[in-house]
Amino acid sequence: MIHNRLSVFRAERGLSRKDIAEAVGVNPQTIGYLERGDYAPSVELALKLSALFEVPVEQLFSLKPFAPLAHSLRDQES
Amino acid sequence: MFIRSKAHPFGRQLQTRTVRILLSGLYAFYPLGCILQLVADGSVVLGLAGVALVVASLAAFAVLAGSSLQRQTQEPENLLDEREREERNRASFQAHSVFSGIVLIGVLYMMLTTDMAANGKLELWRPTDGTHWNAIFGGLILLSFTLPGAVLAFREATAELD
Repeated sequence: MIHNRLSVFRAERGLSRKDIAEAVGVNPQTIGYLERGDYAPSVELALKLSALFEVPVEQLFSLKPFAPLAHSLRDQES
Repeated sequence: MFIRSKAHPFGRQLQTRTVRILLSGLYAFYPLGCILQLVADGSVVLGLAGVALVVASLAAFAVLAGSSLQRQTQEPENLLDEREREERNRASFQAHSVFSGIVLIGVLYMMLTTDMAANGKLELWRPTDGTHWNAIFGGLILLSFTLPGAVLAFREATAELD
């Protein structure tokens, strides 16, 4: 299973699923499938999404579950 | 067969539950309607009930033919994204197996009934005129158009449309 932070990045940028879908050339439903973890993207799609958010691909996708955002913030502050 | 409308160029988005109900109606009403017409034997009520069921099944097909699910199974590859293509390929493979199985059962039934009739052992129903064959081939055509979508609706579509 591939975990991702797509919904976090999308919310941060204030983008809709449709916006992202149009930017990377997929159906908006596919973005929903990705966010729910129901679909693992191809390398091409993963790279397109990371390029869209201007982050390394490993910040967006991971084989291990991402730490909750609150934990990451707390670790940064301490 | 996918019917594209101007209002819904990517197909009307139906809930998975609705698609399942329409498909169940199609697969139940069409054969039932044909059987009722076959056994009507001059009964106007049975004949009309049979026609009504066939019309209902065709109405269900008309709704399905304009759905986004049907688009996914019928659209050219270059108009689908990678997830849609992947799901479609899996569904087509499974639909092909189911369809082949149904055709095989039909052929075996025809062989069996023909042999039995020739030996005078047992007289089972066999299609005898053009109307019977039209009904059978009509059903097979409906099945071939909708089976990949049915596989998607019953096995793949776990997430509701957004």
